[in-house]
Amino acid sequence: MGINYLASLSHYVPELLACLTMFGLILIEATYKEEKKERGLLFLAAGIGLTSVLVFLIFNLGKEPLSIFTNSVVIDSFSTLSKIIMCLGTLGAVYLTSQSRDIQGNLKPEFAIMATGILVGGMLLSSANNMLVLFIGIETLSILSYVLASLKKNDDRSAEAGLKYALYGGITSGIMLFGMSHIFGVVGSINFTDIAVGLKSLSEGQVLIVLPSFLLFLVGIGYKIACVPFHMWAPDVYEGSPIPVTTFFSIVPKVAGLAALVRISTTFFAEPGVLNVGWVGTLSIIAALTMTVGNISAIGQQSVKRMLAYSSISHAGVMILGIIVMNDLGTRSVLFYSITYLFMTLAAFYIVSFVNDKYGNDHFERFSGLIYRYPMMAIMMTILMFSLAGIPPLSGFVAKFHIFNALIIEKYYTLAVIAGINSVIALYYYLKIVRIMTLKPSESEEEIQGFTYVNQGVVVALTIPVVVLGLFWEKVLMVAEGAKVFVQ
Amino acid sequence: MQGTSNLLNYILWTPFIGLIGVLLIPKAKENLVRYWTLINTAITFVLTLVLYSKFDTSIPGMQTAFNIKVPWISSFNIFYSLGVDGISLPMIVLTGLLFFLCVLSSWTVTKQIKAYFSLYLFLQMSVFGVFFSLDFFLFYVFWEVMLIPMFFLIGIWGGENREYAAIKFFLYTFFGSILMLVGMVALYYKMGAGVDSFNILAMHGGKFAGQTLDIFGMTFSFSKLFFIFLFIGFAIKVPVFPFHTWLPHAHVQAPTAVSVILAGVLLKMGTYGFLRIAFPIFPGASVHFSEAIAWLGLVNVIYGAFCAMAQTDVKKLVAYSSVSHMGFVMLGLAAMTVTGVNGAVLQMFNHGTSTAMMFLLIGILYERSHHRWIVRPDGSKGFGGLYTQLPKYSIVFIIAMFASMGLPGLSGFISEALIFIGIYERFTTITVLALIGLLLGAAYLLWMFKRMFFGDVIEECKNYTDMNTREIIYMLPLCIAVIVFGIYPAPVLNIMRASVGNLVEMLSKF
Repeated sequence: MGINYLASLSHYVPELLACLTMFGLILIEATYKEEKKERGLLFLAAGIGLTSVLVFLIFNLGKEPLSIFTNSVVIDSFSTLSKIIMCLGTLGAVYLTSQSRDIQGNLKPEFAIMATGILVGGMLLSSANNMLVLFIGIETLSILSYVLASLKKNDDRSAEAGLKYALYGGITSGIMLFGMSHIFGVVGSINFTDIAVGLKSLSEGQVLIVLPSFLLFLVGIGYKIACVPFHMWAPDVYEGSPIPVTTFFSIVPKVAGLAALVRISTTFFAEPGVLNVGWVGTLSIIAALTMTVGNISAIGQQSVKRMLAYSSISHAGVMILGIIVMNDLGTRSVLFYSITYLFMTLAAFYIVSFVNDKYGNDHFERFSGLIYRYPMMAIMMTILMFSLAGIPPLSGFVAKFHIFNALIIEKYYTLAVIAGINSVIALYYYLKIVRIMTLKPSESEEEIQGFTYVNQGVVVALTIPVVVLGLFWEKVLMVAEGAKVFVQ
Repeated sequence: MQGTSNLLNYILWTPFIGLIGVLLIPKAKENLVRYWTLINTAITFVLTLVLYSKFDTSIPGMQTAFNIKVPWISSFNIFYSLGVDGISLPMIVLTGLLFFLCVLSSWTVTKQIKAYFSLYLFLQMSVFGVFFSLDFFLFYVFWEVMLIPMFFLIGIWGGENREYAAIKFFLYTFFGSILMLVGMVALYYKMGAGVDSFNILAMHGGKFAGQTLDIFGMTFSFSKLFFIFLFIGFAIKVPVFPFHTWLPHAHVQAPTAVSVILAGVLLKMGTYGFLRIAFPIFPGASVHFSEAIAWLGLVNVIYGAFCAMAQTDVKKLVAYSSVSHMGFVMLGLAAMTVTGVNGAVLQMFNHGTSTAMMFLLIGILYERSHHRWIVRPDGSKGFGGLYTQLPKYSIVFIIAMFASMGLPGLSGFISEALIFIGIYERFTTITVLALIGLLLGAAYLLWMFKRMFFGDVIEECKNYTDMNTREIIYMLPLCIAVIVFGIYPAPVLNIMRASVGNLVEMLSKF
């Protein structure tokens, strides 16, 4: 549009800052001696860098939507809010890494560096307005993720996770590119705005080509969100990776993928027609399957981490429901859901991680009688589980309420009922951990070193929004309401 | 809409203040926690009585003087909106009374007292919230919140199989409320998503008659479909057959005080939901389904009675008798006549007092015997000759039993009689069949009484002590209530008359 490249850069400060942070971290890492274990300075730098990204993003929140770099990147309040969520998620995961013992000390900086890199990819993805930028975003995100997944260098499972992730990722990227090339072939552009215009004047035969190509395109994004049937990699990767990495994977790539999906859906398929019906139908089936498969797989898990990982798959399914309705209400509910999901997931994984560090595994029994040893943590975990299950007056309920709202106003009653039944299934396994924490006697009286006062304070601080957003959600809703997807 | 009195706020939030207080009291001072809770619930009870005394019986709808309406979430038109009418007032007074008495009965709880009483007060607050709410969203929040304290109260302080019972209770109710949530949001949009769209009173009066919706190309009647959604949500709570299977477990495993609250108050929330939400919002559909509801109520009455007869655990017997008695309430509701609904609301109150007595008495006995077998699994007698051993206990037990049975002169009789008179006009066959339920009720209760109280004193019963002063104190108000309302039910009936009349008149138009 009217903005040249140099001027565009001034609107791209958060991304540039994130890149800068990443390079800075690499440089700091290089100055450390190999045998030195403590790398506090690096984490401090990562914290400062990410916080400044966050500050810039928050300042951008109220601004008018804008397209830069010859219309290949869109900065609107929707993408900014998604970026804020991702940035907070990264910050949380980086802090957890600095505290966790699941990752070897000298590998921790690598996590911080790559997480920042993934954040850049996610930011790119959430504001992409061009097939190529979108693809670059996905690849930045993916390639670094493969490395992260195999961060436990000496662990076979971690290596397996990385390899699986890479293989699946490579295949889906290929399929996605194939789809993109067809879309380009039919419409003649890779720019979203032009494609949206081109889609309106397609002949019937062209629609028959474009719709399957978009479904191929969906594979790549669906893989990032880990929705069924592209979720096969998720359990292994979640299981094999260290807990901070799992935490990170269940937040940042997911939110990035959802943001991209929201943009694609609202840009291309908002108008009623064959394309709209096909897309909505596909997404409905995917959402229903994702919720159900995620939930049913979560029931039988022995490890809390795996349980949370499967449940995060099902939460992604619920968020896709918000996309299906294709309006601002739906977008808003997806954003609200992501915000609450961020806090719930982070805090829950924190607790799991500290328990895991103590015992070397995070089976359900390790949590037994937690209420008698660490009452505060057990209460927080209880609140988080109830919130994830969607019990009022916690924010998980409000988020679910918004999704229901968006569904019912568009008269998707069947999907609403499926979502409802799923939340009953989900309650069952969330209750399992609550039950073990509060109703079982304590296994041992040992101290869990991870629960220092500071860490407990962090968990409480992450849980407070979960409660507050359940009671007074109007302010956040207004922020999310302002976050409209910018369609030209 | 805003009334002149803040009384409802005081009643709703006093338990919450009590909860904060309990949390602040040091762990070692256990008696202080008990006395504090006692005083707190006593204040709440007195406040409910004040509400009763200020109640204007001539107003058919909400008592506008007590209404409270404050915006909560403006963008969704959700209000913190409280009100009271003749249908909710008896339940509110009952809640105040039972929670107060149950503190006394919980005196013997020794495990984690602070946690117990804070959850207990939290439960009281959410129960009041359900009975006060005039905003559907607020109602739903309180309805769901109530599950959390109940889950822990059953799960931590319950019997041997407490975890299973707690989870079953939670999942069942949650399933029902999810359907209710879908119904609630659908209603919100049918109401036009405007200022009054979550207002329960504004939804009243059959505004949705004749509207339809399409699912997969099939056309459904909006009101019938969502009436079924709401029906399932409330029916699980009542519980109506076939959704009753959580109840015996929850009742048997719960600690005494929680069983009392569960039977005395929480089950009534289901029938209250019908009266406040399902019936007035979908009057057409309710009339359409009333015969089915009556049949389900009949199944409850007969099936509950037969199940009760087969039990060897006395607490389970009383739990199934609750299923049977709630069936009478369903019959009264399904009648949709002035007499029938009056009887149903009165039965809700009377069952609250009589079944509370039964559960309290079983709790008292359990503290002495540490088992509840009428007949042990090996075939030997669990109790025998209690009458000669525990004379005071036996007298109270007889009163409770006869009240529960519906003997003339005690409270159960009047409400059951009203229900039968009310339903006879509409469903004669069902009335006749339901009368068998009364007979069965007498049979299982008397049979239980015979086996436990008469006959030879078995060895282990010889060292049981009779009721102590504390136990007599908390049984006495219930005894008085059961007898007084058996002879003179006007104090309760007068309160509800105008509101029930209003409801039935609305239903009769369909």
